[in-house]
Amino acid sequence: MTVTDVTTPTAAGTNPAAAGKHRAAVGSSLPPATGQPFLKLVAIELRKSVNTRSGRVLILGILAVALAALAWQLTHLPNGPVAFNDNLMAASTGVQLLLPVIGVMAMTSEWTQRTALTTFTLSPRRVRVQLAKFVAAIVLSVVVLTVTSALALGATAVGGAAGGDGATYAGLGGSLAGAYLANALNVVMGAAFGAVIAQTAVAILVFFIAPTAWSLAGPALFKDNADWLDVFGAFGRIAARDLGGMLPETLTAIGVWIVLPTIVGLWASSRREVK
Amino acid sequence: MITVENLSKRYGSTTAVSDVSFTVEAGSITGFLGPNGAGKSTTLRMLTGLTPPSAGTATIAGKRYADLPNPGRVVGVMLDAAAQHPGRTGRETLQLNASLLGVPKSRADEMLDAVGLTGAAKRRVGQYSLGMRQRLGIASALLGDPAALILDEPANGMDPEGIRWMRGLLQDFAARGGTVILSSHLLGEVQATVDRLVVIGGGRIVADGSLAELLSGSGTLVRGLDPVGLNQALTAAGLSLEPLHDGALRVDATAEQVGRAAAAAGQILIELRESDSAGLEELFFQLTTPTAVAA
Repeated sequence: MTVTDVTTPTAAGTNPAAAGKHRAAVGSSLPPATGQPFLKLVAIELRKSVNTRSGRVLILGILAVALAALAWQLTHLPNGPVAFNDNLMAASTGVQLLLPVIGVMAMTSEWTQRTALTTFTLSPRRVRVQLAKFVAAIVLSVVVLTVTSALALGATAVGGAAGGDGATYAGLGGSLAGAYLANALNVVMGAAFGAVIAQTAVAILVFFIAPTAWSLAGPALFKDNADWLDVFGAFGRIAARDLGGMLPETLTAIGVWIVLPTIVGLWASSRREVK
Repeated sequence: MITVENLSKRYGSTTAVSDVSFTVEAGSITGFLGPNGAGKSTTLRMLTGLTPPSAGTATIAGKRYADLPNPGRVVGVMLDAAAQHPGRTGRETLQLNASLLGVPKSRADEMLDAVGLTGAAKRRVGQYSLGMRQRLGIASALLGDPAALILDEPANGMDPEGIRWMRGLLQDFAARGGTVILSSHLLGEVQATVDRLVVIGGGRIVADGSLAELLSGSGTLVRGLDPVGLNQALTAAGLSLEPLHDGALRVDATAEQVGRAAAAAGQILIELRESDSAGLEELFFQLTTPTAVAA
């Protein structure tokens, strides 16, 4: 801060007429106060997730992973036509792994950075804010996944032209639908974990370890009954849009790993003391 | 404007705030004082809906904080200047809040100008000094043109220029009918800024009144040419007194009573005035130390 920075407001502060600017002169011209529509909260949460360096690095990092996977695909062209399905799979594997971090961070970063103090003093109805964060995280992940899909499409076209065997887009609709569904579930699950555990690092760790640990330990301990709590299995069935007669198992896994943490997280963050 | 009624907060068996009541009137600046851990911040957090109270109510303009449709337009809050995202610029921080408050974007630049941060608007908050973050916090609190301000340690980390600037800003805000409550450990600054004091110790209100009232000196200070003779004369007149180390006497009586007693005894006075006010620091320790020991 320079000397002039300090002295300007000092002069204003000692002169009531000049200092009056912040209330009398400017204040009267402000539009009347209104409430905070939900869509505005969503827009603000979206803006928050991309207007910091860490937020941008995360998104660009995810896209970089997709690009790297597609570059590998392009330099290892198969014999025969290039399949969109293969490229989407390659590009979105890493993306699907990292996108939930957007969900986790949407819920945790305010507590970790302590900006929750400002957010919840400006918007005291916390559940609405938290729901807006869920929606914003889903919107953002859909945007990233859409960019990834577009990159996969582009890579397929380029690969097809370069390889000389053409490209095939068979099953395009199904692959995309599966990718978006699995993505949405992953992100909501990440956000739910973030809402329960307000510390970014811990939440990410638990998000990645707990379901994986179950998918490894569960079958050993409970045999086929472990399916009831195998969330990855459920995601796989939903992404394939074929529950294979396991509707109750799928719903239970979703309920335990997504719905329950979401409810607990919303409740916890509405009660949690903001320091 | 701000009304706190029987507010209490318990954490398990510990009582952080116990049956706290006070009001802050429009057009005044109230200093909220107390030692660390006395319950100041907890009270301010209950007032702003960040901490649910165990009992009691707090209202701003007659409404509970959480019931204000857009609280930033009614009350400007700064509880911790450090609680700003280091990765955003000062301008982006304010524009984000401006959008939520429903005020034009240009208002963010006006407020940056008002707090003297225009030159640093495009720098990230992580590079700001604590004093600059305080200014940004003040700008954020003023953004919605509120009628009340709730500030926790606003002068913390500010240089003397900044402190004087803030004093002018707050006094001007109150002069135009604004309501201000601020907590601070800078007692000299509080004494120079506030009209009223609410002192909290051990979770309870230990003093609540106008600054003048609470600081009014007790008794009269008198100095005579012959200290021993004056002492005898005043004692003989039935006045209770206390000799000070510099030879003056502090008497529990009005200046007139002292003057008459001295005149009757033919004592020559070389100083006669209202006793120095205890000073905020002394008052603060007087009020809060016994409580701290009891707690």
